[in-house]
Amino acid sequence: MTYIYELESVTQSYAGRTVLEVSELKIERGSILGITGPNGCGKSTLLRILAFLERPRSGRLLFKGIPVRDINEQLRREATLLLQETRLLKRTVFENVVYGLKARGVKEGLTRKVHSALEMVGLDPGDFAGRHWFQLSGGESQRVALASRLVLRPEVLILDEPTASIDANSARIIARAIVDAREKFGASIVLVSHDIEWSYGAADEVISMFSGKIQSRNIENIIQGPWEEGNDGTARRYLEDGQVITAAGKPGNEYSTGLLDPGDIILSLDDPGVSSGRNALRGIVTRLNLEDEGQSILVTVNIQDTVLTSRITKGSLSRLGIVPGSTVVLVFKSNSIRWA
Amino acid sequence: MHYLSEGFKAAFTILLSGQEGTFNAIFTTVKVSTFSILLTLTAGIPLGFILGYYSFPGKHACRAISDTLMAIPTVVVGLLVYAFISRSGPFGGLGLLFTLRGVAIGQFFLGLPVVVSLTASATEQMEDSTRLTLMTLGASPGQLAASSLWEGRYAVVAAAMTAYSRIISEVGVSMMIGGNIKWRTRTITTAIALETGKGQFAEGIALGIVLLSIAFIVNGAVSVARKRAAS
Repeated sequence: MTYIYELESVTQSYAGRTVLEVSELKIERGSILGITGPNGCGKSTLLRILAFLERPRSGRLLFKGIPVRDINEQLRREATLLLQETRLLKRTVFENVVYGLKARGVKEGLTRKVHSALEMVGLDPGDFAGRHWFQLSGGESQRVALASRLVLRPEVLILDEPTASIDANSARIIARAIVDAREKFGASIVLVSHDIEWSYGAADEVISMFSGKIQSRNIENIIQGPWEEGNDGTARRYLEDGQVITAAGKPGNEYSTGLLDPGDIILSLDDPGVSSGRNALRGIVTRLNLEDEGQSILVTVNIQDTVLTSRITKGSLSRLGIVPGSTVVLVFKSNSIRWA
Repeated sequence: MHYLSEGFKAAFTILLSGQEGTFNAIFTTVKVSTFSILLTLTAGIPLGFILGYYSFPGKHACRAISDTLMAIPTVVVGLLVYAFISRSGPFGGLGLLFTLRGVAIGQFFLGLPVVVSLTASATEQMEDSTRLTLMTLGASPGQLAASSLWEGRYAVVAAAMTAYSRIISEVGVSMMIGGNIKWRTRTITTAIALETGKGQFAEGIALGIVLLSIAFIVNGAVSVARKRAAS
């Protein structure tokens, strides 16, 4: 197995505050790695380090097996990052897409390459190549920004919230183009998204981050506060529809975050009732995702404003007969919730 | 107010009849101000970019000086340049006093702080995401600097036009360095001052209309450039 990146004890800090602590992370060459986590958890910092935009404060970073000592444009030309806040250059679409090629001194077949990249993101070159940056919608701008990276056929394509704040059609096209990038030129892809469902649909593996650390190489449910502390050594999170999540132990503060492994949530069609050590929440199934080549299934359930994901076996899915739209009860122990 | 309306009527007559003295002042103004602004931009844009883009010791002091000089009275610039190029000054031997080259040098010092400060501001205000975008596309340090300046081009054009407005409308430098010599160094502004002093309002108004028209065109272009820079 060859790794495109290997990180060992990598940390980053700004103004004396540590924002990233990665004890170990290995990213396989040609894989799609999804990273999830709440705002401020260190995802973007990690991406900037992987894109060689900044040097880690400490630790070891290997790229294609070679330790990275100096970061320069030669390294940056192998790993390109699509920023969360898309900023097109104040030029035409063609000039935006061709910029990276020209920066690399490419002179041959520029038009053909630009047109091919635009087609990959579903934009008709005849219609869009001559347009100016201010003549594009948000979704079109994001697609042009992605085409500007795809045209480079980078070894690594890093994407920070590529589908945030854009229309559903653009999001679907971008998701397809990312998978195509791997299929067509074997790019390794690292993507950050708040959209756990989309991450799971696109990525081979998803890791969760919290407080600058990788919590697990699996998806985690993140339950944000406010929590109310009870007298019985538990904390309660009241949901919009009146249901309550009870967690064992004391949170650090009212707005602490609880982490819950999807494997700790059992799905049931009947309500087993709430007990002191057990939660039972009723919700609606919104999505099913295959995992481990179909051996397990991730079931996403919406409970009003809260989304929880449960991991069940293929057998359990057949037995329960649930489909998107089914009403289910999520059952998990109050001590399954860990405080981040 | 009667003399004003009469003045406007006479002004159009002067402009339509193509009076030689008036058109000579207009031509001289356009010639000297164009030369001055080209000189100013050649030096001011690189200096402004360096001031806004790079960090170096004394940067803030340079910026404060440049910002302050934006408001320097034109007569003070005229006085200082006069002191340097007059016969007893260090550059007296060059024979620049009472020439258009001398006026252009004065106007250069008038416009330079405007171009430097506004270009520096445009560069500083360039969003960090633009810089990061260029880096993620693989720009080398040289390409990054050149592309950053190009990305701020509309703001730089606005800076150039602001400086041009200051140059074309100044009277202090043209009067003190040029001497308001008819057929040689008389510009629109010095001619207005002279004609008004003589009670010849019609010619003053005619020249004022031309100056205002130029100012309108320049300011129209500035607002288009600013709008483009902000988008």
